[in-house]
Amino acid sequence: MRVEYINPFVEAAYNILTEVLGGDIKRGELYLKSASVPVMGVAALVGLAGDVEGRVIFDMDMATAMKIASQMNQEDLKQFDELAKATITELANLITAQAVTKLHDLGFRFDLTPPALFTGENMEISDHDVEALIVPMETSQGRVEVNVAIRDRM
Amino acid sequence: MISKQDFPAINERAPEGVKADGSPFKVLVVDDSMFVAKQIGQILTSEGYEVVSTASDGLEGVEKYKELCPNLDLVTMDITMPKMDGITALEQIMAFDKNAKVVMISALGKEELVKKALLLGAKNYIVKPLDRKKVLERISSVLGK
Repeated sequence: MRVEYINPFVEAAYNILTEVLGGDIKRGELYLKSASVPVMGVAALVGLAGDVEGRVIFDMDMATAMKIASQMNQEDLKQFDELAKATITELANLITAQAVTKLHDLGFRFDLTPPALFTGENMEISDHDVEALIVPMETSQGRVEVNVAIRDRM
Repeated sequence: MISKQDFPAINERAPEGVKADGSPFKVLVVDDSMFVAKQIGQILTSEGYEVVSTASDGLEGVEKYKELCPNLDLVTMDITMPKMDGITALEQIMAFDKNAKVVMISALGKEELVKKALLLGAKNYIVKPLDRKKVLERISSVLGK
């Protein structure tokens, strides 16, 4: 996978997480996975199709998702209800919109799907014929992994 | 006994969401995200505006506008929504009421759609993530405050 695809997502995740959560956001070491990737518990997935194709997942555990949703709503949410789900979905929307704007500026043309939110234990995701690049972001609320698997359209 | 008059007035500014006659400006919020609708509602009500209704897609937004008109001062309109997008809903609202005051709520990267909305009669736009100050500034400028 070309690295230029992932940088806009990492920059956008850093910018948006800083803006909506405040506090220090630290970027961890990027790693590559070519086989199945475990998903931590709450995953927002956005699909891309056009000059490039693939998907981006924003992955976190349930405790982190609850803390992020609570922080973004400025209230202590008690359960992962419709509001909490809408909040994590909106976070994925915000990060993707900023990343895609950068990719469009670089000349890539593609469309996005609305985010789909997956929740559950012991999940993993397999991408056929494309490796995933994963960048962990450490926030005060916990770790969010930006998991990008994109390739040029064949 | 301490009365209200004993305290200095530290905030003489009237809330932006209240008209000269003391009644609130009435707003319809059209957005498919429960989170964004709640956020807009909180920002507006904290400044005295009244969110009279919300709609979760463009079609419902147009229906509610027709129902509420003329007892409505402003609409906030998301762009990407199911059933009917915000641009089509804006067009239908403008066709129904050429004086409608619609403010578009847009994700980053929708510049072309925002331009189209402004040409179709939207009065202003706000790019997400929503910043309280920016939201209030744009909305009060549309209402001519």
